[in-house]
Amino acid sequence: MRRLRALLFRLGELFQKDRRERELSAEMESHLQMHIEDNLRAGMSTAEARRQALMKLGGVEQTKENYRERRGLPLLETFWQDLRYAARMLRKNPGFTAVATLTLALGIGANTAIFSIVNAVVLRPLPYKDSSRIVTFHTKTSMFPAFTLPLTWPAFQEVRAQASPLEEVSAYWQSDRTLTGRDQPEVLGVTGVSSGFFEELGARAEQGRMLSEQDHKPGQDHAVVISNTLWRTRFAKDPAAVGRHLILDKEIYTVIGVAAKGFAFPEGSEVWLPLSLTPEVQQNQKFFRFNVLGKLRKGERLETLQAELSAIGERILEANPGLGKGYKLSAEPLLQSRVEDARESYLVLLAAATFVLLIACANLTSLLLARGWGRQREIALRAALGASPGRLQRQGLVESCLLGLLGGAVGIALAAGLVQIFRAIAPGDTPRLNEISVDGTLLWFALASSLVSGVVFGLAPARRAARMDPNDALKEGTGGSVRGTSRFGNALVVLEVALAFILLIGSTLMMQTLAHLLHQNPGFRTDHLLTFDLPQPPQWNRKDSEGHAAGQIAQLKDMLAQVRRLPAVEDIVASDHGILDGMYFEHSGLQLEEALPEYSAVAESVIERYISPGYFRMLGISLVRGREFEEQDVRGAHRVIVVNEAMARRFWGTLDVVGKQVGVSNDGKETPEWNEIVGVVANVRDVGIQDEARPEYFLALFQWGVGSHHLIVRTQANPDALAGTISRQIWASYADQPLTHVMTLTKTIAESVGDQRMHTVLLGVFAGVGLALALLGVYGVVSYSVARRTQEIGVRMALGAGRTNVMRMVMRQGLTLVACGVALGVAGALATVRAIASELYGVKSGDPWTFSGGAALILLVGCLACWAPARRAMRVDPVVALRYE
Amino acid sequence: MGEKKDVWQGTLALMVLKTLQALGPLHGYGIARRIEQTSGDLLAVNYGTLYPALLKLEQEGYISSEWGTSDNNRKAKYYKLTRAGRKQLEKEAREWEQTTEILARFLAPGKESA
Repeated sequence: MRRLRALLFRLGELFQKDRRERELSAEMESHLQMHIEDNLRAGMSTAEARRQALMKLGGVEQTKENYRERRGLPLLETFWQDLRYAARMLRKNPGFTAVATLTLALGIGANTAIFSIVNAVVLRPLPYKDSSRIVTFHTKTSMFPAFTLPLTWPAFQEVRAQASPLEEVSAYWQSDRTLTGRDQPEVLGVTGVSSGFFEELGARAEQGRMLSEQDHKPGQDHAVVISNTLWRTRFAKDPAAVGRHLILDKEIYTVIGVAAKGFAFPEGSEVWLPLSLTPEVQQNQKFFRFNVLGKLRKGERLETLQAELSAIGERILEANPGLGKGYKLSAEPLLQSRVEDARESYLVLLAAATFVLLIACANLTSLLLARGWGRQREIALRAALGASPGRLQRQGLVESCLLGLLGGAVGIALAAGLVQIFRAIAPGDTPRLNEISVDGTLLWFALASSLVSGVVFGLAPARRAARMDPNDALKEGTGGSVRGTSRFGNALVVLEVALAFILLIGSTLMMQTLAHLLHQNPGFRTDHLLTFDLPQPPQWNRKDSEGHAAGQIAQLKDMLAQVRRLPAVEDIVASDHGILDGMYFEHSGLQLEEALPEYSAVAESVIERYISPGYFRMLGISLVRGREFEEQDVRGAHRVIVVNEAMARRFWGTLDVVGKQVGVSNDGKETPEWNEIVGVVANVRDVGIQDEARPEYFLALFQWGVGSHHLIVRTQANPDALAGTISRQIWASYADQPLTHVMTLTKTIAESVGDQRMHTVLLGVFAGVGLALALLGVYGVVSYSVARRTQEIGVRMALGAGRTNVMRMVMRQGLTLVACGVALGVAGALATVRAIASELYGVKSGDPWTFSGGAALILLVGCLACWAPARRAMRVDPVVALRYE
Repeated sequence: MGEKKDVWQGTLALMVLKTLQALGPLHGYGIARRIEQTSGDLLAVNYGTLYPALLKLEQEGYISSEWGTSDNNRKAKYYKLTRAGRKQLEKEAREWEQTTEILARFLAPGKESA
């Protein structure tokens, strides 16, 4: 207690130093005066009285110093002194300070930015109640081997009833619905939810209430909850929004609540409504559409759940053998399922950013070591005047940490900028993109990394300064080199070059990938194309599906005709979904007539696309056999199908398949509808630019009528300019028809390589910075060694060494370091670059050309870095150099 | 160096407290003189060492200080005992007596060997 009181007292003293100093002087003065007066009274002379008093006191200054030491906190005060001294040193060398600050800022900035992104996306728990215990479920089935699917309604019911490790289970189903009745029609992300959904996520309402059990009763299920965003944009934050009506797909719903700000699960959801399902869907064992969330009971393990799921899956399969052998249910944590794909690529970026920081630190260490030699005298003098080794080391660390903090401060600004850039260039489907922000985490991380790097790069130089023998240092002046430390400096440069090389290889590989992707020919004309979606109400819950489909087709035909008549429009076709946006539909269980024996019934799934007549002609996809769809291929007419080369070759082993029948079973019906092959088209990459063409077949859109429509317009001029005209034309006749995803195909392609683009940009920036820093390091070390060896070089020259010899010597020294760095880097790159192998396209991770090119580049730039110091060495005048000492 | 000083500082603190108890509020010079006189000039120390000790006692709250005027009209800083200081003095005096008693028994000639 007393100790604490004394400590507080002493802390307080720090802030009233001047006053206390005056008081101390006054007290000493009064003490002396009293003593002198006593001495005078005892009969001494004035001078003697004063002398005796001073002697008895033991010296005014000594007393004051002892007193001061007791007064404040010496450790804190010397720290303060160190800090001021360090600040003074940094101010005195603005050039050094600027270079060091910038170097560190680059490293810390890159690292902090990437860390805060990784933190927001991968590490931070999802913003839901007990989110760490929430799991999501998947189905695996041999019908769709390439996908992990959600669950069917019967499977959801089984899991809800039987999985004992779960305390809550709910299901949701995302779909798009068209909002009409106000302004332009708009497509909203709508989520149908089962009971218990909001309770499980702990979602609360800002206005009104969330859905509850009563809203799920039949007849009362036209209640909706809207998102905070929708409330703000569409309802202008109207406090009376609750109770208002919302027309979705021409059905009227009542708003009963507005979700609290920030609640958006599933991502992109703007309206939540009770799931209302037809009895057919509720019993459908192949309608894999329901995402299921479960919450593990406290203490329950995922493995237990997994085991129970296997058992449940087996029971379901037993009752429904039609599901196929591979049928399997599984669960994984929600966070994992959301960020799984992103995790690895973010860790790669984090590693790259850490490399930059390491290079920056290595650079600063060698800078400080070099500067340490210049400050030898100063430090030796301080040591000679009584500074202890500990104090000198502390001084050095304070200085490097101060530098670290300076670099960190600038780094924070850089990091904030980098995070903004990331948000701008990150592909739109990046998970949790909206949760990434410049926040406190970023500041703390920057502070921590500043101090850590301050210690990391400052420790070696500070220890060396403390170890130095002042006697030697003062005697030797500028001469004398310590082999050990220069070897340490060399090792640092080698390390820097190696790290920079790894970054260079990584970014070069990504650049080549991007170039390959952007120059990949999809096999058809992608220019002057404008595409958009015409969302349609889902068909499966319509009672009169036949009549509805006919009406839809008529409407679509009319729209196509209207748009085609517009001036600048060359042609227009329709499809059921977009091209080159990575989305595709697969169909399994085809039956093929006269196919190769093993393919009479195809277990594997084949890509399926519905298209309107003229589709191949407009896109420039060549017809290899037969014809494409014509106007006569309508509902009720003879059913036709077109296949691509890959499909013909794979299943029939020949291109001559026109006239053969393909059985497609739709809508879960067991008996297939037979279609005659009328044409074979060339393979094209219509799913994604990086996806090889796979077997694919085309059905006539006008013959079937499908839920959603995708329009592709070929324009005469700039397609972007036509977007407005086309929308207005369609809305003039169909005011309630929403148009979404209006985009040129060129832009779709650019977005489809968004991930690679982002990695290329970031890795490119990191590699550039790393390379620049490493070369600065080479330059620094070589220049420094030239400066230190001036005398030696002078002697060599005096003894007859030619200028070229000297230059060669310096170059050799520098390039040896670079070469060692490259060698180490090659080994390092071979081991680490594999991490991005899955993202590469058109180039292998161990590509010899990339490696040798990178090595050549680094050696070349290494030459440049050595060039200046080598020339300086060459110009050494032996006379001046020898006189120098 | 540290340990010796601590012992000295410890005893010095006790002396200061005792002095202030006996004489009431007093300035640094007065305390130094009093200690010297009481110890019968056996203790020849620099008066200067007194001041850090006074500061420490003040920081610990055993004494308090204020500026006042001395007998011959000189401004001086006066120290006086606080209540905590009085308690501390009793405690330390007791401990000191115990210590000296124990040491005295050890050092008393011949008793045990008899």
